[in-house]
Amino acid sequence: MDLSQYAELFLAESREHLSACNQLLLEWERHPAAPEPVGGIFRAVHTVKGMAATMGYARVADLAHRMENLLDHLRRGAAGRRAGDDVLQLLFRATDALEKAIQVSAAGREQDADVAGIVAELDRAVQRFAPDTAPRHAPPSPPAPEVPALALGPGRRVRVTLRPEAPLKGPRALIVLKRAAGLGAVSQVQPQPAALEADEFEGQFSFWLAGPAPADLVVATLAAAGDVEEVRVDDDAAPVARAETGAPLESGKARHIRVDLRRLDALMDQIGELVTARGRLNQLAAERRDPTIDDLAILISRLSADLQTEIIQARMTPVWQVFDRFPRLVRDLARDLGKPVAFRVEGKEIELDRAILDELGDPLVHLLRNAVDHGLETPADRRRAGKKPEGEIVLAAVRERASVAISIADDGRGIDRARILARAQAEGLLDAHVETLSDDQLLRVLARPGFSTAAAVTSVSGRGVGIDVAMTKIRALGGTIDIRTEVGKGTTFVLRLPVTLAIVRALIAAVGRERYALPLTYVAETVEFGVVPITTVEGREAMVLRDRVVPLVHLRQLLGVNGDQPPARRPVIVIEMGERRTGLIVDGMLGQQEIVVKGFDAPRGTLPVFSGATIMGDGVPALILDAGGLL
Amino acid sequence: MSHSVLVCDDAIFMRTMISDILAQAGFEVVGEAETGVQAVDKYKQLKPDLVTMDIVMPDMGGIDAVREITKFDPDAKILMCSAMGQQALVVEAIQAGAKDFVVKPFQPSRVLEAVQRVLG
Repeated sequence: MDLSQYAELFLAESREHLSACNQLLLEWERHPAAPEPVGGIFRAVHTVKGMAATMGYARVADLAHRMENLLDHLRRGAAGRRAGDDVLQLLFRATDALEKAIQVSAAGREQDADVAGIVAELDRAVQRFAPDTAPRHAPPSPPAPEVPALALGPGRRVRVTLRPEAPLKGPRALIVLKRAAGLGAVSQVQPQPAALEADEFEGQFSFWLAGPAPADLVVATLAAAGDVEEVRVDDDAAPVARAETGAPLESGKARHIRVDLRRLDALMDQIGELVTARGRLNQLAAERRDPTIDDLAILISRLSADLQTEIIQARMTPVWQVFDRFPRLVRDLARDLGKPVAFRVEGKEIELDRAILDELGDPLVHLLRNAVDHGLETPADRRRAGKKPEGEIVLAAVRERASVAISIADDGRGIDRARILARAQAEGLLDAHVETLSDDQLLRVLARPGFSTAAAVTSVSGRGVGIDVAMTKIRALGGTIDIRTEVGKGTTFVLRLPVTLAIVRALIAAVGRERYALPLTYVAETVEFGVVPITTVEGREAMVLRDRVVPLVHLRQLLGVNGDQPPARRPVIVIEMGERRTGLIVDGMLGQQEIVVKGFDAPRGTLPVFSGATIMGDGVPALILDAGGLL
Repeated sequence: MSHSVLVCDDAIFMRTMISDILAQAGFEVVGEAETGVQAVDKYKQLKPDLVTMDIVMPDMGGIDAVREITKFDPDAKILMCSAMGQQALVVEAIQAGAKDFVVKPFQPSRVLEAVQRVLG
């Protein structure tokens, strides 16, 4: 049978089990005497073993089997046995090795799975346990009808040979005996039932069968017990029966289906096309002013909107699928750095589009690393500062209106703005007369590639690298990052992400002959150019909007549109991200509509102000403006 | 009429594979259970012709589930799904009332053979 169709399911489910392993190992580490985690880990590893064996990944199955052996000893150990730290660390390492082996095996490179080292370590650990917890043998024997030879009634001896390749011959023998017991009293089983059950025989056994059952019935009944090579009854002409293989069965239909993620992606693309076509139809309806077309356009709008909602819903995935590996990550890091950390995860059930969630892992890892490495002080420093020695990091997801906010908060030392400011000014990143750094300025300075590798900024050394990477990724997903920090209290990063990537509501603006789309998430308001006072701040044109200075960007200039004169009355679109605002001066606004976001490969030299492209209702492409790049 | 089957395994992967094998052979998979407790509940509710039962499951293992099911229906036809090295547990399951067993990794032909024997 073709196993490749199950490979993804195998991978996905194995990941869940590994994640459970890690969670349980952490729990076990915290409560070494608790009996629950070891049982759960055993089950998870056992399940992975069964799945891997089915997929034919022998190395994965072997490693899982060795882990299971060790866990079995621990599980059956005397009540209250505490797992030694060395054993726990071994299990952590083994879980990591298992994860790697699964990954390379599922990628078709099983030969690259190197499990020999960890397998040997596990076996050594098992041997340490062996003396006091010998492998448990079969449970109590069945009430085998061991009748003394003298009391035997009429009957005959039956000899059964199991197929040499039969797995678990002991249990198979038991099934044969049970079938025999349905024909008459069974006694004098040889070898002893206990030996049979423990598989300590060569596949041949015999017993005394009392009763009048004819030999051919005995043979037929027992041969049908499965994996039976031969049944001989007494001194008869040794009838031989071979078990039949399964008869062909009529085909039928399955009640359950599971959907490949790529199918969902393809479906999403198609819905995208449909939304584009719908836009075109709406435009046509508006031009024709034909009520029949209008009605149809409305109907199709509604139907496609429903379809879109459904398909987006099908793509939604709870954040725990990514978050669940973080407790282990934080724990390992905290251990390496000698900083005790209480790590909490909140809002695990919040859902995001699978495509976004898949990209979130790396940025979050960067930010969590930063929090443990740079955010938190050493226990000694914390004591001196009057804090409890254990640092706290909270990773939380919260659903906001059209976005999901994910925050990473530490209660560490916070970032010293004065030092960052001095450093930034020394490097010429900021004007000398800037006196304080706002949160936004701080973030921009920190996100400068290479900025904080400077030795002078010891309190945040290395921060820049991670933030730079995280920021690029989050921006590419159409999201934003904010920072809040207070010296002595801690630092919080907040990532805001759209709930889904593919379809967003956007404001369509005209500049010259082109149209541009601006996702509504970032649009704060629109005002008419010239109605509010214009001023100049630091050599840049700006407007004063309700006592706030908003810098202005002439999109005509920025995008290099020349030729015909701009209209006299022009709107300013105020975009907002965190505390930052910018006014974009455009030629006109063409309304709002849903757009399907398509990635595009920007040619070299393209202004970094586009996040993608879309196809408008009339089939003409338009670029999507990236609020982050314009601010 | 096709036989109805309840598939019990804590791994979706395994349930999918077993269900596929059985469905392709014309069986009707009427339910799936991922714990022993669910297996017992669903058996009582669905009264399937056949149950495939994993041994190691959370929240009541497969063997206890076999005991509970055969207590409810002594004629229940239960096929154990075991891994290599579980002979003691399979023995226990058979004593508890399971009719047959298959060993992972599953080969469809062996699964169907075992199913035929159990339904036989």
